[in-house]
Amino acid sequence: MMRVGYVYFAACALTWTTQALGQEKEIQNPLAGDQSAIKEGSSLFRANCSPCHGLNAGGGGRGPDLRAGLWVHGASDAAIFRTISQGVPGTEMPANPFEDSEVWALVAYLRSVSAGTKTPVAGDSAQGERLFFGKAGCAQCHMVKGRGGRLGPDLTRVGAARSVEYLTESIREPDKELSLAMSDPNNHYGIPAEYDTVTAVTKEGERVIGVAKNEDAFSLQLLGQDDKLHLFLKKDLRDVIHERRSLMPAYTESRLSNQELQHLLAYLSRQRGE
Amino acid sequence: MKMATIRVTLAVAGLMTAAVIGRSQVSYNRILKAAEEPQNWLTYSGDYKSWRYSKLEQINTSNAGNLALQWAFQSADLGQFETTPLEIDGVLYGTGQDNRAFALDARTGRAIWRYQRRLPDKVQACCGMVNRGFAALGEHLFMATLDGHVMSLDMQTGNVIWDVEAADYRQAYVFTVAPLLVKDKIIVGIAGGEYGVRGFIDAYYADSGKRAWRFYTVPGPGEPGHETWAGDSWKTGGAPAWITGSYDPELNLIYWPTGNPSPSNNGLERGGDNLYSNSMLALDADTGKLKWHYQFTPHDLHDYDSTQIPVLLDAPWQGQPRKLLVQANRNGFLYVLDRTNGKFLSAKPFFTRLNWAKEIGSDGRPVVVPGSEPTLEGTRTCPGALGATNWFSPSYSPETGLLYVAAAEECDVFTNAPQKYHEGHDFMGSVYVPATGEKTWGALRAFDPFTGEKKWEFKYFTPPNGGSLSTAGGVVFAGDSDGNFLALDARTGKDLWHIQIGAAVYSSPMTYALDGRQYVVIPAGGTLFAFALP
Repeated sequence: MMRVGYVYFAACALTWTTQALGQEKEIQNPLAGDQSAIKEGSSLFRANCSPCHGLNAGGGGRGPDLRAGLWVHGASDAAIFRTISQGVPGTEMPANPFEDSEVWALVAYLRSVSAGTKTPVAGDSAQGERLFFGKAGCAQCHMVKGRGGRLGPDLTRVGAARSVEYLTESIREPDKELSLAMSDPNNHYGIPAEYDTVTAVTKEGERVIGVAKNEDAFSLQLLGQDDKLHLFLKKDLRDVIHERRSLMPAYTESRLSNQELQHLLAYLSRQRGE
Repeated sequence: MKMATIRVTLAVAGLMTAAVIGRSQVSYNRILKAAEEPQNWLTYSGDYKSWRYSKLEQINTSNAGNLALQWAFQSADLGQFETTPLEIDGVLYGTGQDNRAFALDARTGRAIWRYQRRLPDKVQACCGMVNRGFAALGEHLFMATLDGHVMSLDMQTGNVIWDVEAADYRQAYVFTVAPLLVKDKIIVGIAGGEYGVRGFIDAYYADSGKRAWRFYTVPGPGEPGHETWAGDSWKTGGAPAWITGSYDPELNLIYWPTGNPSPSNNGLERGGDNLYSNSMLALDADTGKLKWHYQFTPHDLHDYDSTQIPVLLDAPWQGQPRKLLVQANRNGFLYVLDRTNGKFLSAKPFFTRLNWAKEIGSDGRPVVVPGSEPTLEGTRTCPGALGATNWFSPSYSPETGLLYVAAAEECDVFTNAPQKYHEGHDFMGSVYVPATGEKTWGALRAFDPFTGEKKWEFKYFTPPNGGSLSTAGGVVFAGDSDGNFLALDARTGKDLWHIQIGAAVYSSPMTYALDGRQYVVIPAGGTLFAFALP
């Protein structure tokens, strides 16, 4: 009985999915290319989406770059409509109570700024993976699917969340924009922590350098370069220095050639958590 | 038999030590003199002058370090727990998120009743499904709800006495305010400045729920001030009134502040000063008629709501005794007004990097810095949209003569863009983001309220969302956004005691005394915490 029931359920699910996909293919944005809709979509985007996806849809601390043509949750008009209105379970993307015309205006706006279909990076992903875990030393601080270091952001889904341009900038000029870290879900207006270099100076003059996982007026939770957690009370410290730079070295051309960069980008852009 | 006898004896002994709470009678006269019965907390800000100050002195600068948790009450919803509970004769009455309310045994924190007015779908509250508390009169409590209702509950049971609809929540009219009881009426102000509502302040008869008066904070055609709105922009002009005002019984005036014009970031279609947005209103308590107004930020483009608590002080001003009104405003200036006539007396900046205005001129109008208006690509402006301070309460101590203000140090990049109005949808005319690469922070600051001179500050790691309480024990209590609840020396700002309570504080502390013990209460997350000396 169990088996029959399971098969029946699976068959229904398959039928439903096929129908849903079929319908989604058929529905097109009635406002596609409409200049006034694009303008309204732009305003709606700024007011509602930009806090996570960036002012001009280029990606923010929490939301992916929407100009890169990645469309991880479906690239058709109908799929983007569904992503906006219903959200994406299992991610930070919430459902949004827009009217249908507003959602279509947003889709029209996103199409107007998006690069269209994504072109794959020219490099060799396998060589990129070897660089990541080997010579380039990325895995000393970054983790992919449970392998690697802890000091920097986990990159398991970075290919779904960030454009190649963003990744390039992060590799070549990591200080330009610090990556965002933990945010407090109970602090509605709070700004997330950053992957900033923090130096704690003890009363004895010892300097512990690392990334602040958290901090307040009285304490500091620091993940040190020594791969250890240092849980300080500020009363025991002489100073806490926020250096406002990344702990990651800049991978200039002398450290990582353009060709190696392409391999690394090919590897990273394929990391979609799948 | 012997066992039974012992049980009876214990039961009698128990009765003798139990607190027996009769039917409380909170008369208007008691609220008028609320400061004289500091064992209770009878109105949102502690008294009509909105000092959020208590004469209780059991907890003082020498023993505050021994404070310990007495009880904790879990409301239900995590997030922004903004209530200031009332304490009346041994019972605490508070409101929670999502239209919840409760009554607690003030000694144990045990619930006596819980109430929730079921929320309809699609309630639009810009900044959390919050509520800031009750007002009380006689045996009844008064609450204003997220779905635009005003209601009266029975103190002992939470039973609904009356329930009236003030405005349509589907058009984004919501209440978050703690009502103010004045004589036989309760006063409430609407929220919804992010959705293009037309703001108002209402008075309802406490006994029947019948509306006594309404004052629209955006004047209609033919009314004075209507000319300060271009075209039809007044219809969606905002100017909400979502924080509890103050009251001067001698002048019979209610002082009620208002919020931003809508859309907040884009002024292109609402040319003019946009009265009475971002103003202090003095209304006749009986009729709701406007006695005077003062507008802090005319034609605001930065969401500088003036919904901060007006603190009423009687003090000499340039040698003459005056009835003053002091307000630390979200726009970064600390104002002193004459509260008999609204005359502007002074404004001093209390935000270090303020850059939207050079000063407030002698005529009371800001001297706006050219180029500080939002643009399509964004303009960095200080203070940011959440303001140099916000709705959370300041406190004033008559012992130190200092005003304690929780201040935020954040600059934002403001953008603007035209936006079509859709009923019940957000209407902000674009957005703001924190300026990149700048560390934000905050502080509790102590000011001379008349000169604006800063006497001390205690630094917070992040911008605060919680206010302060000062006491005759020489202690200032406050909560920060990193989950710390603190007791500071009111004269020096020295940290006497602090405890991590696990969530950002979105409220201001209150205090009461019972059985000879002083309690201090603060909500955070979904929990109400009560502290006292061991």
